[in-house]
Amino acid sequence: MTPIVPGIFETQDGSTRLLTSRCAGCGSHRFPRGSRCTNPDCLDKALLDDRLSGSGVLYSYTLQCYQPPDLFPMEQWAPYIIGIVEFPQGVRVMGMVRSVDPSALRIGMSLRTDVETLATTASGDALSTYVFVPSEGGAP
Amino acid sequence: MRPVYVLGVGAHRWGKFPEISQRDLALDALRQALGDAALSMSRVGGLVAASSRFEGGLGWGLHANEILQSVSEHGAAALNVGGGCAAGANAVHAAAMMVASGQCDVVAAVGAEKMPKGFIPRPPGAKDDPTDSDYLRWKLMGATNPVYWALEARRRMHDFGTTAETFAAASVLMHRHAVGNPRARYRSECTVADVLASPMVSDPLRLLGICAVSDGAAAVVLGTEAEARRRGGVMVRVAGSAMATGLYGDPATRVPTVATMPQPGAVHTSEVATAARRAMSQAGIGPVDVDVLEIADNSVWQVLAWPELLGFAAPGEADTMLLRGDFSIGGRLPLNPSGGFLSFGEATTAQGVLQVCELAWQLRGEATGHQVDGARIGMSAILGLGANGASIVLSR
Repeated sequence: MTPIVPGIFETQDGSTRLLTSRCAGCGSHRFPRGSRCTNPDCLDKALLDDRLSGSGVLYSYTLQCYQPPDLFPMEQWAPYIIGIVEFPQGVRVMGMVRSVDPSALRIGMSLRTDVETLATTASGDALSTYVFVPSEGGAP
Repeated sequence: MRPVYVLGVGAHRWGKFPEISQRDLALDALRQALGDAALSMSRVGGLVAASSRFEGGLGWGLHANEILQSVSEHGAAALNVGGGCAAGANAVHAAAMMVASGQCDVVAAVGAEKMPKGFIPRPPGAKDDPTDSDYLRWKLMGATNPVYWALEARRRMHDFGTTAETFAAASVLMHRHAVGNPRARYRSECTVADVLASPMVSDPLRLLGICAVSDGAAAVVLGTEAEARRRGGVMVRVAGSAMATGLYGDPATRVPTVATMPQPGAVHTSEVATAARRAMSQAGIGPVDVDVLEIADNSVWQVLAWPELLGFAAPGEADTMLLRGDFSIGGRLPLNPSGGFLSFGEATTAQGVLQVCELAWQLRGEATGHQVDGARIGMSAILGLGANGASIVLSR
């Protein structure tokens, strides 16, 4: 599988993590990587590569019912959930939520980061993106 | 700094006008505003254009130079300002500063937009750039703009117990206001049941709970006190005007970002809250003094959340205020008597100029059919892509 955008997430030993930059000065994480520390009170601004924890809690969610413009290459389009997951590092990240019925979603439930194939290119390459799925055990 | 007055306002109709160019929409609005000010174009010392994202000559979007070169080559200063959907208010602010500073006696601000159909896409020619969040949000998850408002709306339901019926009531109010406004694009009254029966776009937001996109143009002519006295009629002053950008740690789910880094105690939608606070401070007023408020209601979420974010209500209080009629024309805080974005459809960069036109009509008592009786102080607030906020306060 090839990430649909490079440098956003990585999968090792079956575990997918979102890649961040952590400020050496104030310790804040930024997603995606490479953006500068924008804390006006932070004078250090040196960024270190880091990653978010594998799971977090659902902050909010929606069911997108209309197909977005062409740039999103999802095959066999159907309405899908986009949620915000809050990670222990204090970062809230938007992404697709999979493997759960919309009616079973609860703000505060535990979700983990996973990876999913969105589309296959003409040359047979599987393009993947990060998604959030319910953690084993369900409720936090 | 000199006092600045509104000399004239004008707007083209809002709708879909495939046969009219963006420049001609702008010129129509400008002609109406100059007519209202009883001035010829040659008297305009400066023209500020809100640069659009989707159309316009030389690849700059709408720009003042093109307008001047097409109708009046008299050497006026041309200024083009960005700011996403806040650009219109930024243009009015810049025009006010050009008058206040003494640089010009008469300055016009104009915004005109022709919108692509459907969900607002990336601007034409945008590169596939992994460091551009507007690329990432489409590529990684296909998040449309309503998704962002829906995420806020769902969280509001969790935090304050806002119901689908209350969100629907916000749409009902905006459409009821528009019934009396001949300038609005959608002027049919609707019921809570109608809103709840409209197609779900991004749960919990339905089609009647989000704004459409429109073509439109609006213009404002500002000038000195002497010019205002020459024109005669009700003297409407720019009592405050301010721009702001976002603050670190703001928890708002901002189009088109894919993540937030919220900090404890940080202000939500800080770009707009800061601009509004600055504009009120300049005007020497507080929320209790505002007789009419025009906000950027991209969805029903904003109708409830913004009065709270701007200091007009405590967090979670807007639901009750809406349902007891506080936001209605004749209520304690008439909100969007024009009908707002929900009734006009958003012509992005023209919207911030149109808000100021509406406030001027209200303060002059010319808002026939949707007049707020005795309005003396009007305020606008608008948000633009890229953490831009702006707010204008008019008084008479």
